[in-house]
Amino acid sequence: MKQTSTVGKSNKTVMVLLILGLSTIIFPLYMTVVIAFKQPSEMTNSISGILSLPKVWSLQNFREAMDVTDFWNSLKNSLLISGLTVGLSILIHSLMGYTLGRNKSSKFYNFVYLFIVSGMFVPFAILMMPLAKQTAEMGLANWFGVILLYVVFYMPMNVMLYSGYLTNIPLALEEAARVDGASTWLTYWKIIFPIMRPMHATVAVITALAVWNDVMTPLIIMAGSSENTLPLAQLNFQSQFGTNYNLAFASYLLSLIPILVFYLICQKQILNGVVNGAVK
Amino acid sequence: MRKKGLKSLALTICLTALAPSVWGCGNDSDGRIEVEIVQYKPEAANYFKTVEEAFNSTHDDIHLTISSPNDAMAILKTRFIREDYPDIIGIGGDINYSYFVDADILADISEYEGMQDVNEGYLEIAEALELVPVDGTYILPYAANAAGVLYNREMFEEHGWQIPETWDEMLALCDEIAAEGILPFYFGFKDIWTCLAPWNAMAVELAPSDTTRQVNKGLTTFSKEYEELAEKYMALLPYGPDDPFAYNYNDACTAFARGESAMYPIGSYAAPQILSVNPELKMDSFVMPASDEKEGRTLNSGIDLGFCVTKDCKNKEAAYEVLNFLYQDDTLQKYIDAQTSVPCKKGNFKLSSLLDGMTEFIESGNMTDYQDHYYPSEMSVDALLQTFLIEKDKDAFLKNFDTSWQRYNRDIIRMVQEYEAAQGNAK
Amino acid sequence: MSKHENERKRTFLLITIPILALFICFNTIPLIRGAMYSFTNSRGFGNHDWVGFRNYIDLFSDGRVGKSYLFTIKLALVTTVVVNVLSLILALGLNSKIRAKGFFRGAYFLPNILGALVVGYIFNYFFTYIVPALADLTGIQALGSSILSSPSKAWIGVVIVCAWQSIAMNTIIYISGLQTVPEDVYEAGGLDGATGWKQFKHLTFPLIIPFFSINMVLCVKNFLMVFDQIIALTKGGPAQSTESISYLIYNNGMSGGQFGFQSANAVVFFIVIVVISVAQMKFSSSKEEQL
Repeated sequence: MKQTSTVGKSNKTVMVLLILGLSTIIFPLYMTVVIAFKQPSEMTNSISGILSLPKVWSLQNFREAMDVTDFWNSLKNSLLISGLTVGLSILIHSLMGYTLGRNKSSKFYNFVYLFIVSGMFVPFAILMMPLAKQTAEMGLANWFGVILLYVVFYMPMNVMLYSGYLTNIPLALEEAARVDGASTWLTYWKIIFPIMRPMHATVAVITALAVWNDVMTPLIIMAGSSENTLPLAQLNFQSQFGTNYNLAFASYLLSLIPILVFYLICQKQILNGVVNGAVK
Repeated sequence: MRKKGLKSLALTICLTALAPSVWGCGNDSDGRIEVEIVQYKPEAANYFKTVEEAFNSTHDDIHLTISSPNDAMAILKTRFIREDYPDIIGIGGDINYSYFVDADILADISEYEGMQDVNEGYLEIAEALELVPVDGTYILPYAANAAGVLYNREMFEEHGWQIPETWDEMLALCDEIAAEGILPFYFGFKDIWTCLAPWNAMAVELAPSDTTRQVNKGLTTFSKEYEELAEKYMALLPYGPDDPFAYNYNDACTAFARGESAMYPIGSYAAPQILSVNPELKMDSFVMPASDEKEGRTLNSGIDLGFCVTKDCKNKEAAYEVLNFLYQDDTLQKYIDAQTSVPCKKGNFKLSSLLDGMTEFIESGNMTDYQDHYYPSEMSVDALLQTFLIEKDKDAFLKNFDTSWQRYNRDIIRMVQEYEAAQGNAK
Repeated sequence: MSKHENERKRTFLLITIPILALFICFNTIPLIRGAMYSFTNSRGFGNHDWVGFRNYIDLFSDGRVGKSYLFTIKLALVTTVVVNVLSLILALGLNSKIRAKGFFRGAYFLPNILGALVVGYIFNYFFTYIVPALADLTGIQALGSSILSSPSKAWIGVVIVCAWQSIAMNTIIYISGLQTVPEDVYEAGGLDGATGWKQFKHLTFPLIIPFFSINMVLCVKNFLMVFDQIIALTKGGPAQSTESISYLIYNNGMSGGQFGFQSANAVVFFIVIVVISVAQMKFSSSKEEQL
């Protein structure tokens, strides 16, 4: 009894705080939306000017932005690259994370763990030139090469996440399956892989987001090909001597939608953690 | 089950191996010679798209592709690393060009007949960009930009202000404008590169055009050559906004477009951004006077876009044909109209009214290249200038300039001095 | 038993080898190839000379590089603390029984998706025009001019933007960590009268320590390698006070002609972060064992 009442109280405070905190997000978002609808001639340096609503609510900027970025084509490329990267990452990184997370007592696997995780700290700038050369030599100067590189780039972080998650999953689960005579491989796919679903969703969100916004990798790897991803196409809005913020903002709002939807789907999975039921 | 997982791995590996065949090359299927241009001005992408179409519809033997990527320098450098050279590259006459010449990537195009039509002033500028003098010509100067002071024509006419021709007149004008309660200058020094605009515009008059080369030869120092320049730059600051380091280029363009200041010391390249905010604005430009002699004035102008043929280009004749097409008077005129720039070709071209105040200099060929075209970008002279303007310590700035220069240009200085020694021996 | 052990070992090895090979191929080998450039005066293209250890010797006498290390480390430390405190609080809030959970989670995720151009523009505007105007209204002198134009204060602006953008990511990781805390732990704790701070300190936190250490490592790494926010917000200014190490490496090495020298910088930087992070991981794993 007592417990429910305290929970009820604290939840109200939590709600109030969350709503207050929301202002730090609503305000920039409001600016983004308003600017996306304005014309360049409506831009001023005064506060009232920037906060005022656009004179006309017209989708013209969005139409033009879609035109400039060749939206559907770029979107298709972005979706393809992000989708495949996320899929491969979940399969490969979870396996690696499992292997390393379950062998923490082994010197060899500990070394492999540190070796891979330290890959996270390699400054991208030092890899750029050699990778540009290497991918070209291997005939990978295309979207497939980009995906492969992403799978490698995000491996350290994801392996770390997966093996961290495993520490809270008891070994007993696997041992039970072993008694039934299942192989390690089978046990992994039957029991461990499904149980890590919240982590899959987390990894999917983090990886997808990083890939979705990345400019550098496709820029240098696909340099010279006519294919664009959305962030690459969005570079069209800025040059040193002039930036069309109105079109750019419209375009960024458009490209925000797919990833936001993806996040909302994934975050349901993060919540429906099966672990709660499993760990007893 | 175990096989399933291994299969997916195997699949990945197979796909890796297969990828090259998926990646088809766009080879000329109809037997036309392929010519590829990569040019570095994304803002001119539309112009080059029309050029590409016009060229291809009039040529059966050559197929032209022009790409105008963003961050073209990163793309070009990556492609050079891969040894995947475009036939022609469109770049500016700056330190990157110097590096490309030095790296032996570009072909000598002095035999190209179009060279006869180039304004000599720009050929000299191109020559001067070579780290050490090299035989031959490696760039076809196409269009130039000019930097000085943009001013609000209506405001000037309304108050009867005169265009200054000497440094004293410049300061007097600023006082006059300020007395009317109007801000004389706007600065957007938050974007460090804009710190270079007034610097360059005054440097052409106050420092020898070959200052950097003289320093490399060990004949002079920046402390000596730039002292007056630094003092005069500092003298301009009070005529700008209170905290010029809070505003970026975009803010400054918007403020000038909205009539918040009478003048804005920046290049002609800023015009499209300013006009996008206020298409009605009437503006013109003048050459920044920096000394007490009217005759000493010279226009700050450099090669904004030039075309180089790479050494790797298979078919030079085809490349020249493309250059011919680009260098036709009417093709060039369209570029100038679209980009408010100055042609590097001799002949009668119609210039934008924005450049009215600079026409006499352009016509008489009285122009000098930007000093910063000789600065290595990694030295970040723009950032040094910003530091100087914030801290207002002239001596520290000049000293730092000299030591940084030695540090960042060590290999070039050695090269120049070896060259000089060899020349001396030869004589 | 031993048959099973062997099978398990073999499976692990079969998993590890191809993945490790892929990793070495696209991470380790290019890293080594890149590190070779640190012994040259290469500009990134064209021909170059071998210069031995000159770049490394220069590195330790370069004031600009030294300054960038100080700035970056200061930024990383402060931002890591700020981000972890705030995102842990946020994760607890979003994980509690509240209304419109989905909406809140979606909204708080937004900062992470907005592109650097948008974030840069908005925060520039915020610091340049809005904060000074608010300061005028309220009479706070210290905020009267843009903090981004002050060499001594601009780093605070960078901290704010970095924190604003990355809190979402750390929150997600904390939330997924909180999912591994079984409901019955709270029930048991509730019976002992553990609520609020006590409950968090003694029940929740120990259970999410692995996620805490992951977040610490990720934060330190992300902020030590900060790049996008610098480009968007200050481009290293004012007066070179916000040049991060990654910014220097990219700007001078890739865009500029200092490729060889900055490769040396990158190698040293890499070693520094690895040392910091491994120490961090060792430290937190010893903590985990204690608990």
